[in-house]
Amino acid sequence: MLILNSVVNGVLFGGVLALMAFGMNLMFGVVQIVHLAYGQFIMVGLYLVYVLAILYHVPLLLSCAAATAAVALLSILAYYLVVKPLLKAPPINQLLALAGVWMVLENACLALFGATYKGVQVVLPVLHVGELYIAASNLIGFVVGLITLAMLYLFLNKTYTGVAIRAIAQDPEITGIMGVNPRTVYLVTFAVGGALAGITAACFVPVYSVHPHFGGAFTLLAFIIVILGGMGNLLGGFIGAFIIGVVTSVSSTLLNPEIGQIIVLLICLLIIIIRPQGLLGVRGK
Amino acid sequence: MLKIEGLHAGYGGFEVLRDVSIEVGAGETVAVLGPNGAGKSTLLKVIAGLLKPSSGAIHFENRRIDGKAPYEIVEMGISLVPEGGRLFPELTVYSNLMMGSFNKRTRRYFKDSLEEVASLFPIIKQRKNQVAGLMSGGERQMVAIARALMSRPKLLMLDEPSSGLAPKIVASIFEFVKEIKDRGYSVLMVEQTVKKAVNVADHIYLLESGRVEFHGKKEDFLENPKIKRSYLGI
Ligand SMILES: Nc1ncnc2c1ncn2[C@@H]1O[C@H](COP(=O)(O)OP(=O)(O)O)[C@@H](O)[C@H]1O
Ligand SMILES: [Mg+2]
Repeated sequence: MLILNSVVNGVLFGGVLALMAFGMNLMFGVVQIVHLAYGQFIMVGLYLVYVLAILYHVPLLLSCAAATAAVALLSILAYYLVVKPLLKAPPINQLLALAGVWMVLENACLALFGATYKGVQVVLPVLHVGELYIAASNLIGFVVGLITLAMLYLFLNKTYTGVAIRAIAQDPEITGIMGVNPRTVYLVTFAVGGALAGITAACFVPVYSVHPHFGGAFTLLAFIIVILGGMGNLLGGFIGAFIIGVVTSVSSTLLNPEIGQIIVLLICLLIIIIRPQGLLGVRGK
Repeated sequence: MLKIEGLHAGYGGFEVLRDVSIEVGAGETVAVLGPNGAGKSTLLKVIAGLLKPSSGAIHFENRRIDGKAPYEIVEMGISLVPEGGRLFPELTVYSNLMMGSFNKRTRRYFKDSLEEVASLFPIIKQRKNQVAGLMSGGERQMVAIARALMSRPKLLMLDEPSSGLAPKIVASIFEFVKEIKDRGYSVLMVEQTVKKAVNVADHIYLLESGRVEFHGKKEDFLENPKIKRSYLGI
């Protein structure tokens, strides 16, 4: 029962992870850039919710919505200031520049908020469903994650901009002769990726307190999920998120959270060694 | 309609096209023939805006287009079917066609364009939910031409539509090209297989090592003794 319980909670948490990884995966697939500062955008989102809800007493849901919009704007800003000038630069330069964004955001938060944990103290109940104990925070994350992903699915399949985003990930040259201005697509992708970081932050509000070094672990976690599923493969990332969610949850219950993290990293290493293209990735792509 | 003058282009320092001048009149079908490596694909890439020429000028409907971005050139009414079709392999046929009508000029006519194109290629309706990467080579080529037509081009450019296809399918592809021509489109086609291409063309250019070695009407091409010997095998 204990294991089943943690499997269920792991699956639920996987919903948020899927959302988080989707943003990084999308930016990688479309712009061919590994967004090293992705976790820091989530961190900024959490700080914004803290500032609005606690310091300015804005209602929590409104704070979350505003934080999401602000992180999307920040992502657009990062695109214009850092990514766009380096679109044709070697990948290492892009990585270093995004590492720079990471440093700037971390240290800005350190300067503004100090090194202590800040959080919105929302206490959500634990629900009894039959013999299962389900954290309401996990359930909320799961529902929000899946609804957002369903909307993204429609966007990517039904709208011109969405289909262009998928097309450019497959063949950028030909996408141009379809009448697509790649810069516009990159911009939209960064806006969407930023919004996803913001929504992820909103889902994290009842789960985590935030501190200036909060982001790194989540950049890493998102990256691991993306590698697990196959870089740029959206469905693979989706499945990978649930695997990581369950593995983390079960190993934390049976052993402890630190061992859980080690196991996640081991899975990542194994994938890189045995199946570098990821679960659903295609070799050589 | 399309006028190319003194075009030079290449990759890095490596010059591929040397002083190429080509004209396509409205409603005309022009074939640029030449062996592998002659620079045929390079020529179409330059026109489509995928490669910047090093010198020369390209005018389309009296507007200068060289140096413009690919997405601007589609808006003006030039569409390219790249070598091998280059469909988006993970998108469905329908989504590929959607991409074809992406440009602002024709997006709102999507439904009409689809009907029009489906009257030529019924396959696009039968297979609309199939993922393009799983189709056969001939089917992909048809969908690629359909995708290009979705942008309602004034000038359709075809890069070796017959390459890699079985002879029977090649014949049907050229039937389609003929049908497209009869519907009033201007066509600029590059090909290696001479005979089939010559049949549908009004004007022929012969490109060798990046230079135009011959140009003229189909009849002159067929009568030219040197060409008879080296290209037509008679
Ligand atoms: N992307 C490229 N980079 C460098 N050289 C190229 C590239 N594409 C083609 N070439 C070279 O340009 C020449 C002409 O190629 P291409 O235009 O593809 O010829 P064709 O289509 O007539 O077979 C060839 O020598 C080829 O090797
Ligand atoms: Mg070629």
